[in-house]
Amino acid sequence: MADVLVEARHLKKYFPLTGGVFRKVIGKVHAVDDVSFKIYRGETLGVVGESGCGKTTLGRTILRLLEPTAGQIFFEGRDITHLRGKELRELRREMQIVFQDPMASLDPRITIKNSVGEPLVVNGIARGPKMREMVLSLLQKVGLNEDHLNRFPHEFSGGQRQRICIARALALNPKFVVMDEPTSSTDVSVQAQTLNLMKDLQDEFKLTYMFISHNLSVVKHMSDRVAVMYLGKIVELNPGDIFERPLHPYSFALVSAVPVPDPRFAGRAQILKGEVPSPINPPKGCRFHPRCIYAQEICSQEEPPLRDVGNGHLVACHFAGELDFGRSAQQEYAEAMENGGVTA
Amino acid sequence: MMSEDYVLKVKNLKVNFYTYEGVVKALDGVQLRLKRGDTMGIVGETGCGKRVTARSILRLVEPPGRIEEGEILFYDKDPETGEVTEIDILKLSDEEMLHMRGNKIAIVFQDPATFPNPVFKVGDQIAEVIEIHQDLGRDALEVKIEELEQALKADPPAEKAAQIDERIREYKAMLDNPPEPGKKYRKKAALRRAIQMLRMVKMPAPEQIANQYPHELSGGMRQRALIAMALACNPSILICDEATTALDVTVQAQVLRLLNDLKKKVGSSIMIITHDLGVVAETCNAVTVMYAGTTVEATSTEELFNNPIHPYTVGLLKAVPKLHEHKDRLDQIRGSVPNLITPPTGCRFHPRCDFATEICSKEKPELREIRPGHWVACHHPQGKI
Repeated sequence: MADVLVEARHLKKYFPLTGGVFRKVIGKVHAVDDVSFKIYRGETLGVVGESGCGKTTLGRTILRLLEPTAGQIFFEGRDITHLRGKELRELRREMQIVFQDPMASLDPRITIKNSVGEPLVVNGIARGPKMREMVLSLLQKVGLNEDHLNRFPHEFSGGQRQRICIARALALNPKFVVMDEPTSSTDVSVQAQTLNLMKDLQDEFKLTYMFISHNLSVVKHMSDRVAVMYLGKIVELNPGDIFERPLHPYSFALVSAVPVPDPRFAGRAQILKGEVPSPINPPKGCRFHPRCIYAQEICSQEEPPLRDVGNGHLVACHFAGELDFGRSAQQEYAEAMENGGVTA
Repeated sequence: MMSEDYVLKVKNLKVNFYTYEGVVKALDGVQLRLKRGDTMGIVGETGCGKRVTARSILRLVEPPGRIEEGEILFYDKDPETGEVTEIDILKLSDEEMLHMRGNKIAIVFQDPATFPNPVFKVGDQIAEVIEIHQDLGRDALEVKIEELEQALKADPPAEKAAQIDERIREYKAMLDNPPEPGKKYRKKAALRRAIQMLRMVKMPAPEQIANQYPHELSGGMRQRALIAMALACNPSILICDEATTALDVTVQAQVLRLLNDLKKKVGSSIMIITHDLGVVAETCNAVTVMYAGTTVEATSTEELFNNPIHPYTVGLLKAVPKLHEHKDRLDQIRGSVPNLITPPTGCRFHPRCDFATEICSKEKPELREIRPGHWVACHHPQGKI
């Protein structure tokens, strides 16, 4: 088995809710609640889920941008949960993040050269002409050129800005990069360019990605394994194709809700009843049970553990592998495409 | 060809925005045709002008934007006589336009978090639209009758009961030719209709929701309330401006299913503005593809997905990552969307097009019917012709 680069053990992140005149803690948002997983060197772990499921919090907690409430984080076998000061700064070189909104993560008053070069200066790697040279080679890697060095962020398009952010994340030659919804604010044609670029860079720099997105098709395209999150928990970790073989009822509903780009399969989505409950008071037992059509007595009482159902396929469901979801429009569409294709 | 019963035609629409940096030619000869009862998707990327088109139809383009040229023809059909009158929206007075907005043409905006007014109750906001536009005589009478019937149930003394009975009969006789209701009953009648609308969009406990403020609802419920508000006056055209973009997939699926169901119930034509081709496939039977302020392709949904003809549409369909494919690389369209202050000459897509030749940079291609019902603006059409 490939070696583990990042590992989380029973990771928890709660945000306190305060209220009243004295700002007393009146509750907790269970953003990430007892999550364990491993990321192997060189792979891409996709994380999908709807808004509020804790995927972004998970990404930031792994990088120690947020302090975990409980649990442990390991990087290359070393416990980094409580690193401080110089050690933590050194660790930061190894793991980087690309945020969702490239405009918000670039200082509008600083040129691209200085923005991308800042990590080099801060870490004492290069300054002056040498920094310029390194920045230029980074920009060229992401498809920009010398003319762009002295421009400001507002002079770039959304796709270019995102590429600048990627260049900056790669400046320190990290081993691990968290991509937090990197393409959710870009258009389809630009998204394709960005995704292709990220794959190329992964090969070139031997990067390990954690790819967070709410867009299932994008996650599937990018990832080797996919983790599905619901209300702060990983409900399924699928080593193969999440779309061909979802085993958790929530994963299936999620897959089935993605519209198929073919009008002949319209109206086939499995509609979940209700909406995602509040993470302040998550439901007892299996967190999905109030919306699950297969829910039984046990589901409302006992929380299902994330267990291996073979080949490293982890599912947190009492009836994993026993449920017959029927076939989704996506599966039939895929088959139709394989058998000669439906579209031109 | 089918009978040409159009509810909306946009002809050669040009809209400019006068900014400090220069004139943004946002729309350059947009053509649209919406058939009565159809659900049409308008697809395109950021800056293609889909939203400006929708706003132009409602005359909501705000300065520095200005509608320069073109016609927006709305065909108003009288529900009783079936007579159709042609109205050029751009020639209406502001007052006449007020009568169109919300009444004949309604819009649901993208972000449900910002649109409903946070300080008014959901029910009151929907009722307001109804009160302004609708004749509520009959509804008000019905409310009065209901109230009297309630009073009867309370077991009043025999003398009073007879009086109430008399009044009910009186009101029932007036039902077909109701008098103008007083202000109090107009309000009550409008609220009653608002609750009916909420029930129609499958809101759980509509009476309760009507009495709540927008922040008490979740995103999906707010979006449903907005749809209820838009449909409150039975508009001829409902425009959904990225109505599901801000929602999660599972909630989006709920809202799309609702739109599909409503389509059958109310006679409105629907225009869905989106960048997601999946949403189009799910809900629409006709599509118009826009690029950089021009209409590049317009046809039925089935035809578009089976036989895309414009190179931009072909590229767009290929660039979407699909669930079933195992591809290492996506097909990308090179370059990015042009700056519309200095748009490319000729065909606006030519700098990014693999099939471009000399003519493309010189002459703007006309939108023409290449196959029956399939309109394309391209000098070098691809696919089956």
